[in-house]
Amino acid sequence: MMREVLRLENVAKSFGSVQALRDVSLTVNTGEVVALLGDNGAGKSTLIKAISGLHGIDRGRIIVDGKEVTIRNPRDAMNLGIETIHQDSSLAVDLSIARNLFLGREPVKAAFLGPLAPLDLPQLKRQASDLLRRVGIRKNLDADAPIKALSGGERQSIAISRAMQFFAKIIILDEPTNNLGVEETHGVLRFIKEVRDAGHSVIYITHNIHHVFQVADRIVVMRQGTVVADIKAEGTSILEVEAIITGADLHELEVDARRS
Amino acid sequence: MTNDALTRPGGTARADRLLDRNHDTGGAKVKSTRWRALLRKPETSSFIILCLAVVFFTLANDRFLSPLNLANLLAFLPELGIIALGMTLLLTAGEFDLSVGAVFAFCPVISMLLVQHAGIDLGLALIVGFALTAVIGLANGLFVTKIGISSFLVTLAMLLLVRGSTLFATQGFPLASFSGETILKPLLAGSFYVGEVRFHASIIWFALLAALAFYVLNYSKVGNWISAIGSNRNAAIARGVPADAVKIGLFIATSLLAALAGTISALRISSASPVAGDQYELEVIAMVVVGGTALTGGRGTIIGTIIGVFLLRIIRNGIVLVGVPGLAFNIFVGGLILVMLVVHAAMQKRSSRA
Ligand SMILES: Nc1ncnc2c1ncn2[C@@H]1O[C@H](COP(=O)(O)OP(=O)(O)OP(=O)(O)O)[C@@H](O)[C@H]1O
Ligand SMILES: [Mg+2]
Repeated sequence: MMREVLRLENVAKSFGSVQALRDVSLTVNTGEVVALLGDNGAGKSTLIKAISGLHGIDRGRIIVDGKEVTIRNPRDAMNLGIETIHQDSSLAVDLSIARNLFLGREPVKAAFLGPLAPLDLPQLKRQASDLLRRVGIRKNLDADAPIKALSGGERQSIAISRAMQFFAKIIILDEPTNNLGVEETHGVLRFIKEVRDAGHSVIYITHNIHHVFQVADRIVVMRQGTVVADIKAEGTSILEVEAIITGADLHELEVDARRS
Repeated sequence: MTNDALTRPGGTARADRLLDRNHDTGGAKVKSTRWRALLRKPETSSFIILCLAVVFFTLANDRFLSPLNLANLLAFLPELGIIALGMTLLLTAGEFDLSVGAVFAFCPVISMLLVQHAGIDLGLALIVGFALTAVIGLANGLFVTKIGISSFLVTLAMLLLVRGSTLFATQGFPLASFSGETILKPLLAGSFYVGEVRFHASIIWFALLAALAFYVLNYSKVGNWISAIGSNRNAAIARGVPADAVKIGLFIATSLLAALAGTISALRISSASPVAGDQYELEVIAMVVVGGTALTGGRGTIIGTIIGVFLLRIIRNGIVLVGVPGLAFNIFVGGLILVMLVVHAAMQKRSSRA
């Protein structure tokens, strides 16, 4: 049974004179993959940064599980069960894989010591190794290796496994398959399906429409800071979606397609 | 640390073969990679140079290892070392503090002025002195994090403000000794003998604080945050790390450590001078980076800092013994710092690709 987990109402956000978001409304249900599409600069990253607490919103309401919430910082978002993999690197490259995986949520002993509490290093390492295996990173990565020593794709896989581990209600992926090889890309798509099947929700931002049709239940298209379409993936076509994204006439596109 | 081949994309087949080989030869292989990892650490190269320096000075002048010279060396070294510990954590988080030398003079001078003019007890005066120092650190932190001015500019201004206030308050004259009975003096600046060598209490403080800093940076939760903030601040923030609060805390801690070092120094020489600690900020930063901590943040090492502190002090001390004229000191120190940085940069390039 589908239930609404996240609802945005009339969200707006400006950076100085640039109005990055205007009147964005959107809902996400449990067990649903929502693809968020739009050209460069459409406002996709800005929208998910607002949901994940990286910057506030100027106007509008955010409702999680039926309750209106204020997301002031990333910790608020994480506590609400929202995990995000940002488009720009979200790893601290000087730290080890294990330390990155648990950054901000480190397992500690003697927790009463607060920030000074000692890390539970054996636990950290064990959980990290388990996680790497579970996510299907088959390459023999040492959890103690610094991120610096990994390829771009390997780094991305680490960021994704980090989002998986806390069983967030909503996982947001901002262009997660950039820099990924074929196998890793399939890994990400498989991961998205698994998350959905487990009843979690995914917001998936990408420029690759073929990927969208492989995993998305619903397609939301943004243009110039606002949502211009919100359609079921079933019963629409790549051409149609492309037309909405660019704002072009569907008929012209069809002609183009036939010519080429 | 991992074997390079294991982590390169496209190196999987090679990696598999390597793994098999690993399996066959068992422990020996693991041991050799561990050695290689150790060799790559910046601390190791600093330590080797430290050993070379010690050997060189010992051969050059047999007074170098004399009890008197060792006592001199160890009397002074912890005072800079204590500041260097705070500076290491701050640099790891990607900031630095140029006002430590000024704070070094400020805290004992203000405390002494209070004792002399307000007639209050030394302990109470020091509490006021340290509280004011904490405010200086807090101000540094707030300007850097909340207003977004670079720590270079903020702490440079603070250096002038604090040093200026100290000079003005004393009219430039040093204040006479802390007289009267107080347990603070033996506690902070007392001395004892081990064999023929005279040690000061400061070395124990340095050791304890170094152990604490080592624990914090490498084994505590906040240590993970400090490295992450310096490595990629946005990533740390996106994971809910309170980056600004951590930085402000580090600025306060660094100021307090500088004040502690200044107080120890003033008690030891029984005089609080408004010009004490002049240019310590640069000396301390040099010690920290020579030890292998990255000036750009993300990578900090307390062990390296301890080595750096010893290295720079020993070189300054040894150069005198070898007979290099005083005015030529800095040529050697400057040259050494450059050499060390080149070595660290070369190691860093070899061990990573980013
Ligand atoms: N911090 C900022 N300050 C000023 N303007 C910004 C900021 N962040 C985003 N913008 C502007 O807001 C608009 C939306 O940007 P956003 O990053 O959300 O686009 P996007 O849809 O994610 O694009 P892409 O597909 O290229 O990642 C752009 O015009 C961008 O220049
Ligand atoms: Mg974007």
